[in-house]
Amino acid sequence: MNARSWGPTAGPAGPLGTALADCATAGFSGVLHVIGAPGGTIYFAQGGVAAIETPWSPSAEVMLLRSGRIREPDWEAAYAAAAVARGHMRSELLSRSLIGAGELEAMLRSTLADAMFALAAGFVDTCRAEATTLEHVLALEPAADAAWLVAEARRRMQVLAAFPDPPLGARERVMAVPGALRAATMRGGGRDEILALADGRRTARDLAFALGHGLYTTLLTIARMRAEGLLAPAAQGAAEPDPRTYRQASPSADAGAVSALPRRHKERLPQPQRSGDPNSRPLPAVLRLLRPRAEGH
Amino acid sequence: MAEDALLAQMRDLQDRVPGVTGTAVASRDGLILRGDTGGVDPDNLAALSATWLALAQRLTREAGQGALREAMTRSAGGYVVIYAIGAKAVLVLVGDEGLDVARLHRESFATLDAIAGLLAEPVPYRALQ
Repeated sequence: MNARSWGPTAGPAGPLGTALADCATAGFSGVLHVIGAPGGTIYFAQGGVAAIETPWSPSAEVMLLRSGRIREPDWEAAYAAAAVARGHMRSELLSRSLIGAGELEAMLRSTLADAMFALAAGFVDTCRAEATTLEHVLALEPAADAAWLVAEARRRMQVLAAFPDPPLGARERVMAVPGALRAATMRGGGRDEILALADGRRTARDLAFALGHGLYTTLLTIARMRAEGLLAPAAQGAAEPDPRTYRQASPSADAGAVSALPRRHKERLPQPQRSGDPNSRPLPAVLRLLRPRAEGH
Repeated sequence: MAEDALLAQMRDLQDRVPGVTGTAVASRDGLILRGDTGGVDPDNLAALSATWLALAQRLTREAGQGALREAMTRSAGGYVVIYAIGAKAVLVLVGDEGLDVARLHRESFATLDAIAGLLAEPVPYRALQ
């Protein structure tokens, strides 16, 4: 199989399920492009899944670095060495004793399962296979069974669907219920970190990346916290703006633009202000100065 | 209100592109106009973006590659991307490691066009007071 595509009418398993089954059966080696939302790329090696990239699921690199399991300078050094030697990141990490072979394999298998869950939980329009040599920075060896990944993704969706509340989407914003985050109260189980970050502007997917956790793990924790009354989906537009204040345009910074205006307006430019909600204040004077004035004024 | 429309455009882009964690619009002289930066200091982001945009445009001119479409940094923790909005402003995006760069390429043009329209909108004289 050199190149092939699966569309919306691919079969009862959908384009993704059918493409995965066909690639596994054919012993395909190459990349399977998944077109949709989030979409992504699945790397196949002899019919097994060696790596998956998708914007909804943190990669092994994110998980290893965010958790502090591997220090960033060590990762960078291993990456550079692998690139120079045209070798594999896996062998560099192992030879430098940054992680054990078993732990790395478990981590990669876990991130693959999470990425497959993210792809399956989204929308898939088309899949397109392209035979090529495997070029992924950190592939799983031996590759994972595609059927197991699909079954695991299905099981995870069933777990989330079993909660009383409808499952939260990966791209839905979530916020802490007022009063849920209390000083000197530790809830444990990853709840405190999520409460601290769930400000109404981050989605479940954003929380997963910020914490370096899998998307499924994050959605599961969120579902449990919703059941406990700690979290709620954020209403559209409910996100709090940054609690930062913006410097108003200083007269000196706008000297050129201000000079074109009547002098009395320069004197009335707002003074630097460092408090309050910046996005609810009138537009900074500098923006108004960027605009052409209306005819006749 | 135009300022709310500006913020709405920035948040709409965040909604459409997975991985965008913050956005800001700044004037070319480095002053923040509107921002939803997710914890990054908006003043510093604005000032550095304006400087970076000027350097990137100079660089592309020097290389004879025509108009700058975007300038992007990729680091261990994610991305920072800047776009010129006409000749007077700059849009800066902060993204995490999972930023959907391909989708950003597709979706950013409509946002840039809309923001450019908002910034060019004539305002009544009284708004300057």
